[in-house]
Amino acid sequence: MTEDTIRIEVTDGAAIPREKDKGLLSAWRLSFFGALAVIAYLLITRPDPYLRVLKFVPDGILVTFEVTVSAIFFALILGLITGLGRISQNKYVNLVASTYVEVVRGIPLLVQLFYVYYALGRFVNVPHMIAAVTAMSVCYGAYMGEVFRAGIMSISKGQTEAARSLGFNRGQTMFLVILPQAWRTILPPVGNEFIALLKDTSLVSILAVADILRRGREFASESFYYFETYTMIALIYLVITLILSKGVSHMEKRLSHYV
Amino acid sequence: MSDAPIITIRNIYKFFGPLKALDNVTLDIRSGEKVVIIGPSGSGKSTLLRSINRLEEIDQGSIVVDGFDLNDRTNDINAIRQELGMVFQSFNLFPHKTVLENLTLAPIKLKKIPKAEAEATAMKLLDRVGIKEKATVYPSRLSGGQQQRVAIARALAMNPKIMLFDEPTSALDPEMIGEVLDVMKSLARDGMTMVVVTHEMGFAREVADRVIFMDAGQIIESGTPEHFFKAPEHDRTKLFLSQIL
Ligand SMILES: Nc1ncnc2c1ncn2[C@@H]1O[C@H](COP(=O)(O)OP(=O)(O)OP(=O)(O)O)[C@@H](O)[C@H]1O
Ligand SMILES: [Mg+2]
Repeated sequence: MTEDTIRIEVTDGAAIPREKDKGLLSAWRLSFFGALAVIAYLLITRPDPYLRVLKFVPDGILVTFEVTVSAIFFALILGLITGLGRISQNKYVNLVASTYVEVVRGIPLLVQLFYVYYALGRFVNVPHMIAAVTAMSVCYGAYMGEVFRAGIMSISKGQTEAARSLGFNRGQTMFLVILPQAWRTILPPVGNEFIALLKDTSLVSILAVADILRRGREFASESFYYFETYTMIALIYLVITLILSKGVSHMEKRLSHYV
Repeated sequence: MSDAPIITIRNIYKFFGPLKALDNVTLDIRSGEKVVIIGPSGSGKSTLLRSINRLEEIDQGSIVVDGFDLNDRTNDINAIRQELGMVFQSFNLFPHKTVLENLTLAPIKLKKIPKAEAEATAMKLLDRVGIKEKATVYPSRLSGGQQQRVAIARALAMNPKIMLFDEPTSALDPEMIGEVLDVMKSLARDGMTMVVVTHEMGFAREVADRVIFMDAGQIIESGTPEHFFKAPEHDRTKLFLSQIL
């Protein structure tokens, strides 16, 4: 990525429906209402096992959201620090931040999850949930770092110069002038990362965190309704991410212009 | 106008890679003096102006502003910059703040002036630049000329001793240039020390105590507007003036 083309990389969120994009908009409608229709149809025609699955997983939905929200919170903090590090003029700070991004991006999230759990586990007994949130935060912190960096760099140099010439120091300039403008650029990709993260939390089920997927597996292995259970799980994920992607698209629209 | 220089620039050099943007520039500016810098594109006018508040760091030489040596790292550059208002070609208002907030942000955060007082001062300044009625709108709602007048007022809100202008009217539609120059002229009449990079020769003639012609990073010629526009000495100055007038 060259320094003058400001582009915020989309990792693995969801297709965000934008107004210009009529095709996607109707694809969104089709998927969303289609999913709802299929769910309704299955519940009505075969309440056993579909209704039983649906009653079994809600605690899992809650856990999925818990992991997602806590991980995004820490990832935002890490991301801000990393983004600032990546644009720092201090070459050591810069190197540390860039290396973190490089390393984290080079390791699959699933491996990071195991790694944090078992590596930390050698020294302390980490609860699964904490290990999961830690690994996801560290991983997404690196992505967020890039989002923050791009967002900060999207603000014209003139803004920094105007603030500095008034007498603001670097930190004041960043927090009073640059970041309050950059969040308009930052928020939509953060929303997108949120969706990506939510989907990736399905990986934490492997650490026995009782998220949606884990709850589904528990149900399936007791009832042997594997196909039916995973159909329902897939539909639940789909509906959640479609709702969230709609939210992100609304946010993008509202943020796209100044008052 | 007092005789003691408020800005002392001694033998400064500035390089951008192999390019010598400032080449042994020496210049004194007295308190209350109005200096207009002219010269062709790329001659180093902005670089000179920006090195006065250290937006560009010089590679050699010294600049002393109001007794503070810019090379001396024990001096707080942020405090020195509060004495130096700067107006940019591209206005650079803060788009996420209203006009009034643009003016009060620095006084409140840096000078710890109570909000009500900062706002009262800001309203006076907005009145002075003729756009009091726009206090509550966002900069994007203003014309270029209005934005630049707000930018001048924003700089004045810190009560600086010196004002630096880098081509303040170059980005404006012709019909808006006058309103900005009028504000600058009134500032000049009030005795502000001003360093102005501009192509507005009418302004130079009317306001400048001294005109400085730069080319290739050097000050080629310096003198009163009369000297400049009637009898410039150097060929490069003559050529430049013949092209621009
Ligand atoms: N940040 C920079 N990096 C590299 N070169 C630069 C930089 N800033 C200025 N220069 C170069 O230094 C020289 C002097 O530039 P400067 O902006 O001071 O000229 P100027 O007289 O203000 O020109 P203009 O009338 O076009 O604004 C030019 O050749 C310019 O390309
Ligand atoms: Mg210039």
